[in-house]
Amino acid sequence: MTAEPPDAPVPTAAGEAAAGEADVPREAAARLATRSSASALSIPDLAACLEAGLEPVGLVQGFCAMQWAFYGAGSPYLRSASPLSGLPRGAYSEQWACPHGFVSAEHRMWGQNYEQPWVEAAWAQGFGSAFQRMLEEAGDAGAHGVIGVVDTARHLADMNVVEFHVLGTAVVVRDAPPPPGERPWSTYLAGMRLTKLLEAGMMPVSVVAAMVSVRVWASCVTEYLSEGQAYGWGTAGTAEIEQVSRARAAARSLARQRIRDQLGADELHGARAGLDSRELGQGDEVVECTLRGTRVRRFKHVDPLPAPRPTVRLG
Amino acid sequence: MSVPTPPGVPAPGSVPAADVRAELRAGMASLAAPEAPSGAAVTSDLSIDETLLLHSIGWVPVDLVNGVSVYAVPGGVWVWSQGEIAPATEAHQRAVGAAVARLRRECEHVGGAGVVGVEVTIEVHPHHVDVELVGTAVRPAVAPPAGRRGHRGPLPEVFVSDLSARDFVLLHGAGWAPLGLAYGTSFVNVPRRSASTALQQRTQNVELANFTNALYSARESGMERMQETALHLGATGVVAVHVAEGPLSFARHAVQFSAWGTAVTLVADAHQRIAPEVVLSLDDRDIAFAAQSLRGR
Amino acid sequence: MSTTPTAGDLPEDAGHRLEELGEGLFTSDLSVNEFLLVKEAGFHPLGFVMGSSIYHTGVQLRKFSTSQELTKLTEAMYHARELAMTRMEEEADQLGADGIVGVRLDVNYYEWGSDAAEFIAMGTAVKSEDGESYRNAKGKPFTSDLSGQDFWTLMQTGHVPRGLVMGTCVYHIAHRGLGQALGSMGQNVELPNFTQALYEARELAMTRMQDEATELEATGIVGVRLEEKTHQWGSHTIEFLAIGTAVERTGEAVTLPRPTTIISLDN
Repeated sequence: MTAEPPDAPVPTAAGEAAAGEADVPREAAARLATRSSASALSIPDLAACLEAGLEPVGLVQGFCAMQWAFYGAGSPYLRSASPLSGLPRGAYSEQWACPHGFVSAEHRMWGQNYEQPWVEAAWAQGFGSAFQRMLEEAGDAGAHGVIGVVDTARHLADMNVVEFHVLGTAVVVRDAPPPPGERPWSTYLAGMRLTKLLEAGMMPVSVVAAMVSVRVWASCVTEYLSEGQAYGWGTAGTAEIEQVSRARAAARSLARQRIRDQLGADELHGARAGLDSRELGQGDEVVECTLRGTRVRRFKHVDPLPAPRPTVRLG
Repeated sequence: MSVPTPPGVPAPGSVPAADVRAELRAGMASLAAPEAPSGAAVTSDLSIDETLLLHSIGWVPVDLVNGVSVYAVPGGVWVWSQGEIAPATEAHQRAVGAAVARLRRECEHVGGAGVVGVEVTIEVHPHHVDVELVGTAVRPAVAPPAGRRGHRGPLPEVFVSDLSARDFVLLHGAGWAPLGLAYGTSFVNVPRRSASTALQQRTQNVELANFTNALYSARESGMERMQETALHLGATGVVAVHVAEGPLSFARHAVQFSAWGTAVTLVADAHQRIAPEVVLSLDDRDIAFAAQSLRGR
Repeated sequence: MSTTPTAGDLPEDAGHRLEELGEGLFTSDLSVNEFLLVKEAGFHPLGFVMGSSIYHTGVQLRKFSTSQELTKLTEAMYHARELAMTRMEEEADQLGADGIVGVRLDVNYYEWGSDAAEFIAMGTAVKSEDGESYRNAKGKPFTSDLSGQDFWTLMQTGHVPRGLVMGTCVYHIAHRGLGQALGSMGQNVELPNFTQALYEARELAMTRMQDEATELEATGIVGVRLEEKTHQWGSHTIEFLAIGTAVERTGEAVTLPRPTTIISLDN
């Protein structure tokens, strides 16, 4: 393995800096030292894990509360200025010029889609720090891995604060050597699904996640199309709103790319994508795509399985 | 044993149960091994059960793919007039069509034979129709996708289906194959009632014939369009049809009918019966399906 | 009833119902599947038991800009649940039960009292069929929020439930001053004080839960849930509740039969 941890779910420099700190609070360390180990697993999951030789040693978690501001919420004063002055563009940006040759203070002369790396960096810092803190708790408990990971990001009421929370159950494998780099492996899976993954020759490496934020500054055409005012501007009534379509597709594709960048030669299993588009009025919007899943390593080739028996359940 | 066993696939019960603890140790050892050079990483949103089910018929996931399209609905179409609201219907049809085409292109690009488990999200807003399709591209592990044939001739290069991987495997076992997404929609104005009719109906138990007729007309045209796309794909049937119908929240005088499903055709010489086994479950929780373990006992 | 609620104070009406249950009839909110699995685990249901307490929570002043635990409210939440649980255990005790499965703990707010809430606990009392006692280290019937299915599965892994354990912490999260809010406007940065406060609140709840488990001489806690409730105190005052079933390892795991590969045709 290379010196650098291959699987930190932090695609940007900001996130990595945050992930470097050792900052499990005192309280957590004291709790983990007590005798009885807590586990957040359901009973069937627990039974399956015990059978696979995974013994829970504690419920581990990490938090990060981030100040969360919204950028450029459709401010009319910014309409005439390029929103990109002095800001990094990210990997994706596209421009649309006004086809009308019409000059007016109310008429948009250009439109732009661009990735917002600073929003992504903040997300990566929040998620990355919470995840790193969870792994540190697990490391302190001497865990080999963390299973059944659940992560949430929620807005605390009326405070402009987003709290990232990552939670999982730390497990040890008796008599096994410590994990490489003392860094426990982690997965969203638990129980039967996890043991089946192992039986299928795949070993979880790490939870991976990425968020991509794309801002749409509508061009005149986009604005008119999305307001239903296409008439009079030489545009056909039913037309694709290309700028918005491209922004949404780009957000999804970029998220997939960011995840790929964290995979090395491994695979992504059980991906879950969430797309949130927030309209800011007049065709302007912010598109945010979050993609998460478990990075898995294939450690052996598995022959095809017997075909399952179809069943119908009574009752 | 009813799902036909492809060549090279063991019959149930013929494989010994795996030692999960040994597998775990082998897996953990692989984490310490030097990393292989970065290759084409597989990404998939399938669950382990779905992955294993696909594996049991010799298919593997390739990549997450998506198709997105946002179409504008021209202004002024929602004023109350008569008959079909053609511009809205057109925007809807074209948005779905464009999204499907993009999904198919992405699938071709990553070398998939088709997309399964497509999550279909269609939102109708007053001025635009948003369509998003997300799924996992899959392909046979060995055989190239070319040369797929149905009994009516060659199948399309790449299929798109909103059936889950589980349904895909079941269909496959029965000798059927998905061809693509069949879809159709229609927006229709509800005819106005005359003032005297409206007054009369206020206190009576009567059928609101105008609403009934509008819904019927929307349903007929929507279904017909869906059937046309299916026929165009060379399908002999459409399964798992989803329907969205009713008045629009922003235009109560207009009704929408949308339907979509997976167009299928028989690829085997005859339908293979799957003869399910009857089981009695002691589980209250509703688990839709569980390929519970790789290897039966 | 005495003015300070304590154990041993079941309302009189509860007695008759329990007497009838002593004569061989049982009631239970277990489904048929759960009933069969509880029997499979070697237990017989005795009766549906419950305990409740209507509790008035006191008032505690909060400092606008300080994050702190509201100990008075924490105690109230703790005591009220304890009362409901204890009364339920007493009912089970009267039936001679070894434990209570499928325990549900609810809080209901009624219109007739501000700051007053009903804390209610209910479940099915069960008794071991092999005559062995399964009571916990305190000599009381064990309690657990496990369903019949989970109860059977847990027993198969060589564990027995010891008690439903919980820890709670009512925490006030500071409002942010105007200066603070303006100073960091337009930047998404971590707020270490917030992170620390939220950590502390949850750790207090978790630690209290684990302390309860240690008292019961448990070796682990399974199915831990972390819940956050604002009750009726406004958005800045949050109750962090950790709850789970304390278990003790008593024997070797029965190797579960490997499930066979099926594909269900049910929707």
